[in-house]
Amino acid sequence: MTADTDPRAMTRRQLLRHTAWFGSAVALSVVGGEVISHIAGSPEPTPAASRPTLRFAQISDSHIGFNGAANPNVADTFAQAINQVNNLGYTPDFVIHTGDLTHLGTPEQFDHVKQMLTGLNTPHIFTVPGEHDATDDAGQKYRQVFGAGTRDDGWYSFDVGGVHVIGLVNTLHLQKLGHLGTDQLDFVQKDVAPLSSDTPIIVFSHIPMFAMYPDWGWGTDDAARALSYLRRFWSVTCLNGHVHQLFSKTDGNVTFYSGTTTAYPLPHPGDGPAPKPINLPAGKLKDALGIREVSYTKGQQALALKEQALQ
Amino acid sequence: MTSTVAKPTAGLPARVAVRAAISVLLAVSGVIHAYLYIDGGYRVIPTVGPGFLWQASIFCTLAVLILFGAPEWFSWAGAALSAGALIAFALSRTVGLFGFTERGWNPSPYAALSVLAEALTVVLVAAVVLWRRRSASVPTPG
Repeated sequence: MTADTDPRAMTRRQLLRHTAWFGSAVALSVVGGEVISHIAGSPEPTPAASRPTLRFAQISDSHIGFNGAANPNVADTFAQAINQVNNLGYTPDFVIHTGDLTHLGTPEQFDHVKQMLTGLNTPHIFTVPGEHDATDDAGQKYRQVFGAGTRDDGWYSFDVGGVHVIGLVNTLHLQKLGHLGTDQLDFVQKDVAPLSSDTPIIVFSHIPMFAMYPDWGWGTDDAARALSYLRRFWSVTCLNGHVHQLFSKTDGNVTFYSGTTTAYPLPHPGDGPAPKPINLPAGKLKDALGIREVSYTKGQQALALKEQALQ
Repeated sequence: MTSTVAKPTAGLPARVAVRAAISVLLAVSGVIHAYLYIDGGYRVIPTVGPGFLWQASIFCTLAVLILFGAPEWFSWAGAALSAGALIAFALSRTVGLFGFTERGWNPSPYAALSVLAEALTVVLVAAVVLWRRRSASVPTPG
């Protein structure tokens, strides 16, 4: 009992006792962490399993044709993003551009961005349209350039590396929020019906599939129905653009990741009356722009994301 | 027992009650984070997911050891880690935490319960420390 010892000094016996308690705490914490990890079904990757079975890059919101003070040369920063993807140290299985490829959706801007995308060192390039790509024609010019192999308004799905990928179009019939529409929702329902629940799902869209900031239109009004078809899957990852900034949110089995832009930053939700381009001090722009690497390793439930600022 | 959270002059029931309360509060926060890690989807969040895992295992460990008579500084550590968890929660609702941001009290009701448990841990441990200091400054009769 400590009552017999000097309270101002720690005896050797007390020191040993405290050390034993501390050691017990460390050991129990490690064991507890292992137990929780085991229950969660996410064991530490073995060296053999650590090599990703799927690796791809996301770029977004290049806004080719934009000419404002926030970025006087969006083509240059987009070219840098492409160069950065080409120097990842591996060839990504594909590259996804999550919309607003162009600023005004003119034929010249589509030609320009299409030409630039051919510089990507990857076997496949996928896109989804942003609202800037469909300003006056409900996406007709976009589909003429990027619509090959897609259905109806430009949505599609494919399987790669054990992952089921769905590209959705929520920018063609928007009022304030993004909108998928009945036909596309039916497509999602039928598309995932034959899949087993342990199939990882990746969803691409331009506008967030979650209510990031509805006052600025940063959400999709009928996303809940689409997500209801995906609830049974163990892992669903939704990647979007539109908001020009990194943001993530989890909702049960679904994780949402907003990507940044290669053009110009927008304010954080609610900062100011409207999402207008931010003019950053010289030298700071590249810090707000970037690309995203995504990898999936078979046997693991979660996808790994790595953000890279433009260099 | 090496030392206790409450001043040795406090009655045994009071000391046990304080220990039990701190233990329960830490366990509540730890179990909630473990649940959110296992079933809430948080384990896929870079950095934040492993953070939930470590928070859960450390808080549950502290809860068990404090209940079984760990030294007083275990309670201080629990309070400090609870304060850290509250700061991390606040960051995730404002400027972001390792790029992760959430809004409001989602996931409900777990976010609110966890914040409540952590805040009560900080308050309880602080109250015990203050009570001890005040008691120590009052001369005992005889």
